[in-house]
Amino acid sequence: MSRILCIDDEPAILRLLAVILQRDGHGIVPARDARAALAALGDGAVDAVLLDLGLPDRDGLELLPAIRQRTAAPVIVVSAREDVQEKVAALDLGASDYVTKPFEGDELLARIRAALRKSGSAGREDTMLVHGRVAIDVAHHRASVDGRSLLLTPREFALLRALVAAGGRILTHAALLEAVWGKAHREDVEYLRVAVRSLRVKLEQEPSRPQLLRNEPGIGYRLAEG
Amino acid sequence: MNRSLASTIEALIAVAVTAWLTSALLPMLGVASSALLFLLPVLLAATRGGVVPGLMAALAGAGAYNFFLLEPRYSFRIHQFDNLVSVFVLVAVALVTSRLATRLLAREAEARESARKSDDAAALSAVLAEGPPETALAQGTGWLAARFGAVRLLEAPMLPQDDAAFSALDLSAAAWAMHNGDATGHGTPVMPPADWTFLPLAARNRGEAAVAALARPVDGRTRDAAELEHLGQLARLLGQCRDRAALDQERRERAWLEERDRLRRTLLASLAHDFRTPLTVITARLELLAMHDPEAGDALASARRLDRMMTDLTAAARIEAGALAPVIESLDLVDVVGAACDALPRPAAVGLEQRVPPELPFVPADPVLLHHVMVNLIDNALRHARTTVRVSASGGDDAVTLRVEDDGPGIPEPDRARVFERFARIEGSDRSGGSGLGLAIVRGFAEAMGMTVSVDRSGLGGACLAVVVPLRSEAPA
Repeated sequence: MSRILCIDDEPAILRLLAVILQRDGHGIVPARDARAALAALGDGAVDAVLLDLGLPDRDGLELLPAIRQRTAAPVIVVSAREDVQEKVAALDLGASDYVTKPFEGDELLARIRAALRKSGSAGREDTMLVHGRVAIDVAHHRASVDGRSLLLTPREFALLRALVAAGGRILTHAALLEAVWGKAHREDVEYLRVAVRSLRVKLEQEPSRPQLLRNEPGIGYRLAEG
Repeated sequence: MNRSLASTIEALIAVAVTAWLTSALLPMLGVASSALLFLLPVLLAATRGGVVPGLMAALAGAGAYNFFLLEPRYSFRIHQFDNLVSVFVLVAVALVTSRLATRLLAREAEARESARKSDDAAALSAVLAEGPPETALAQGTGWLAARFGAVRLLEAPMLPQDDAAFSALDLSAAAWAMHNGDATGHGTPVMPPADWTFLPLAARNRGEAAVAALARPVDGRTRDAAELEHLGQLARLLGQCRDRAALDQERRERAWLEERDRLRRTLLASLAHDFRTPLTVITARLELLAMHDPEAGDALASARRLDRMMTDLTAAARIEAGALAPVIESLDLVDVVGAACDALPRPAAVGLEQRVPPELPFVPADPVLLHHVMVNLIDNALRHARTTVRVSASGGDDAVTLRVEDDGPGIPEPDRARVFERFARIEGSDRSGGSGLGLAIVRGFAEAMGMTVSVDRSGLGGACLAVVVPLRSEAPA
């Protein structure tokens, strides 16, 4: 179905990815280092890239911009490192999402689906955005969950719209703050916390046990399909 | 003395020459002018030789003047009062001039001495400024030894007890110098019979300071106060260099420690990375197997547990290394508890209650550290609960308390103090199955963020572990 470039120095991981991706009908283009990855990008179109940050010949974070330059395909970072700053840096450098090793196959496939969906709709100015149970009518500034319409403030609407448009991909705190409040407020996490809290009251069945608006500590928020 | 005698003889010769000249030229000069000429040898003698030659010249001059020039000539009788005045004037000139000249000579000697001292200080400073402080210190000590005799540097408070060069008296003098910051030993008022002079390397207010030991001069003379003062200054120059050397050493040690920490962090990171790569393959393959074979589920759960243990190990190493630098931001406890609950596989038999009132204030904390704290607390509770784990939060104006409770066997009162210790798996309470590090990490991370942890009995029947999060936003001290 899709051709996915998998960049990892470990052959066992590449074989594993081939098996997992097969389940969704994807084919893999393996690359064991940065050089091979860039060569593979020159050879033909790929639909998505899975990038391990710990490569033998070049740091993955360094390779990321080079990949973004050569292809518009979404890049999902696969990393065994725990460092949150590194994940945020990868997302800021243009990665669509990240998965931490050891990952679960289902989780990885879900991330790839979200990333592919996003890239498929890129460029179209959608008036209706739908993700899982949440639908947004951009033109009429209306939002609904499970068909129940929501009365949102402009900030809440902007926040929900950004999350729905991301289609289940994670958005960093800084990216959300920039999208809703503007560049000057990239650091004001408290604004985001307040808006998320009020949005949850309207969106979630149990606001204290959110199923839709999910936080990843130190990184950002994503909208689950619920 | 010799110099004075030579000057006196010179003066007498000068007086004789003047007497001969004036008596030969008396008809042309007149008595008054001739008298003035006698001032010349007096001035000469007083300037060159000081008081005694000056006075000798004055008396000889007055005598010669009286004998050869004054009427009646060739006798010492004095007829007129004003002639007596000339004698007085000559004596007075001799006295004043010699005083002035002596003072001038003393000044000159002083200036020469101080120039020599500053030359010494400059030369020593130049030696000490060259190369790295440690070798410069050795060079400087050598320089001092070449000029003033044997020099040793003694570090406080370690005295060279078994060094034959120092007697018991020397050692007491050295100890005194180190402790009080005075110069002691030979030439000083403190224990002068010592064979060495001990000069502090630092100013008096520095507490136990190193001293320089300087041997008694080989020619047997006693060093005077001025020389010791000068040597004291040179010793302080050595002291400054020694401080620089110490600072240098400290800086190098710190750099070494930092490098070691960096290596340790890199090692931990790469260890975790290398560990996770095969673990990823194992868990994912087991996951595939478990789709068809339920037996693989146990193996899968164990593999996931291994990963959590690795995370705990690296966390414990970070606490151990003092490498925690919390990045405090504003957190919603709904997020904190939600993310922690989502991060753990839930045993089918145990229900997980989340009771976080949505109106609680945001808390200042490091999101990653607090996440780890909550994951470990909930994981611990899930392993011991029979049917229920409850995660709740409650708060006031000053602090918010997060509680994780279970309906398991609980922790016996006497063991509660040890729960947060490393590897403290409490005997007989089945608090096992973890790495033995989980709760120690809870405490380490919580304390790094200024929070406190405690353990109590839960209303559910088991244990209740609590974290109190203060609401002030300053970083912990």
